Amino acid sequence: METNLILEGIKFMFLGMGTVFVFLVVMIACMNIMSSIINRYFPEPQLNEDVTTSNSQANNKKIIAAITAAITYHREG
Amino acid sequence: MKNILIKFFALMMLFAFAFTVNAAASEHAVESTKASTHQVETYKSQPMGDMVISFLKSTGIVALVHPRANEMSATGKPMSNFSKGLGRIIMILVTFLLFWLAIAKGFEPLLLLPIAFGGLLANIPIAGIGGPHGFLGVIYQAGLSNELFPIIIFMGVGAMTDFGPLLSNPKTALLGGAAQFGIFGTLVGAMVLAQMGLVDFTLKQASAISIIGGADGPTSIFIATKLAPELLGAIAVASYSYMAMVPIIQPPIMRALTTDAERRIKMTTLRHVSRLEKLIFPLLVLGLAILVLPESTPLIGAFMFGNFLKESGVVERLNDTLQNSLINITTIFLGLGVGSKLAADQFLVPETLFIMVLGIIAFAVGTAAGVLMAKLMNLFPGHKVNPLIGSAGVSAVPMAARVSNKVGMEYDRTNMLLMHAMGPNVAGVIGSAVAAGVLISMFQH
Repeated sequence: METNLILEGIKFMFLGMGTVFVFLVVMIACMNIMSSIINRYFPEPQLNEDVTTSNSQANNKKIIAAITAAITYHREG
Repeated sequence: MKNILIKFFALMMLFAFAFTVNAAASEHAVESTKASTHQVETYKSQPMGDMVISFLKSTGIVALVHPRANEMSATGKPMSNFSKGLGRIIMILVTFLLFWLAIAKGFEPLLLLPIAFGGLLANIPIAGIGGPHGFLGVIYQAGLSNELFPIIIFMGVGAMTDFGPLLSNPKTALLGGAAQFGIFGTLVGAMVLAQMGLVDFTLKQASAISIIGGADGPTSIFIATKLAPELLGAIAVASYSYMAMVPIIQPPIMRALTTDAERRIKMTTLRHVSRLEKLIFPLLVLGLAILVLPESTPLIGAFMFGNFLKESGVVERLNDTLQNSLINITTIFLGLGVGSKLAADQFLVPETLFIMVLGIIAFAVGTAAGVLMAKLMNLFPGHKVNPLIGSAGVSAVPMAARVSNKVGMEYDRTNMLLMHAMGPNVAGVIGSAVAAGVLISMFQH
């Protein structure tokens, strides 16, 4: 075979990496646009969270205590 | 009088009928006696000694020591005596090595065990389990030669993937792109070897090998069956064993390419991602794939289907099936089907050694490219990126992300990089699916 295989490989590399990057850059741009649109026009209702936090204030304190204990245990151990 | 005549006729009819039936029956009897004499002719009574000898000739020991001249390989081609005898014994020992790696060392046991056992079965002489009528051959035909099983696995992986970390920090997707350099860098490397005359890889085969650098098992199998099915066994084994070795291969490269200060970089906390974003994202990526690279849509489409079912939140049963039963069943069949390609005549070839070497180079180059890309991104203004998460750009979900986290914690125990590393990690899956699409599209014409 007379074709230069290395050259072929390099051509593949440029085309392949180029496509991957173009795809991802376009994807990132679309993601940013999508996120800004969604967060501006369709924000998630925050009401539910407030209700649950006020209801389970005591419960949360217990959870925080447990997490702190676990972290101190982890740091010491 | 008339009555008697009718009775007489009836009697005659009855006789006639009885006679014909009788005649037919006797004819039948003659035939059956003929058949039985025929049987007697084929089955000769043999002396006990001959029977024992002919039985011994059909044992595995004799078949391994004195291979049968007319035994064909799974693809119907004649085999050398080496791959019928000693080669099989070597391959059976290789499968034992894989058992050991899977069970004692915990190397991707979910796939290595079915692959290794399939390999063991495929190397049994005479039985032809890996052949066109053996059950491994049937499994291979049913779901591997048509690339069905890797696609189903991809659906399950999609259902397990959470794009939240990527959505909250989109630019880390670039790290997943850079790591695909492992694929194309290795492709050039394989071509250099071929040009030097060391190996005889065609461009198709080299592409199939280099996709190991994508660190994505199903993608590797998908591409290998499409471009170079004769190398499938070696490619799949290399791919899965290196994926299992990610915690060994990656950390030295990550340490060599980063400074102490860079390894301690703390990244800003991830913002909350709304459910709607997660729901639209799979459709967005699929839409892009349709527009840019339709060849990649079998992989990306299946992946996003699984993810869409998960994020929709209304088909919990289907989501559960994809993540558990379906992916488990398919994994068994995929492993056994790949194992059928571990037959000695296909695996014990010099190419396998080169595939193993090129595969590990692909992994290392991909890891390095991801880390270097993160360093490059830090030259630009904006939130700093810890280069340790760059290595997670090779897919290998979630192992590579865990490695980033572990190495980061070695230098700063409060630095949790896991969720940050999941972004490039899942982007790596998309990136390698795109790279696979590019490779396929280049061989279409």
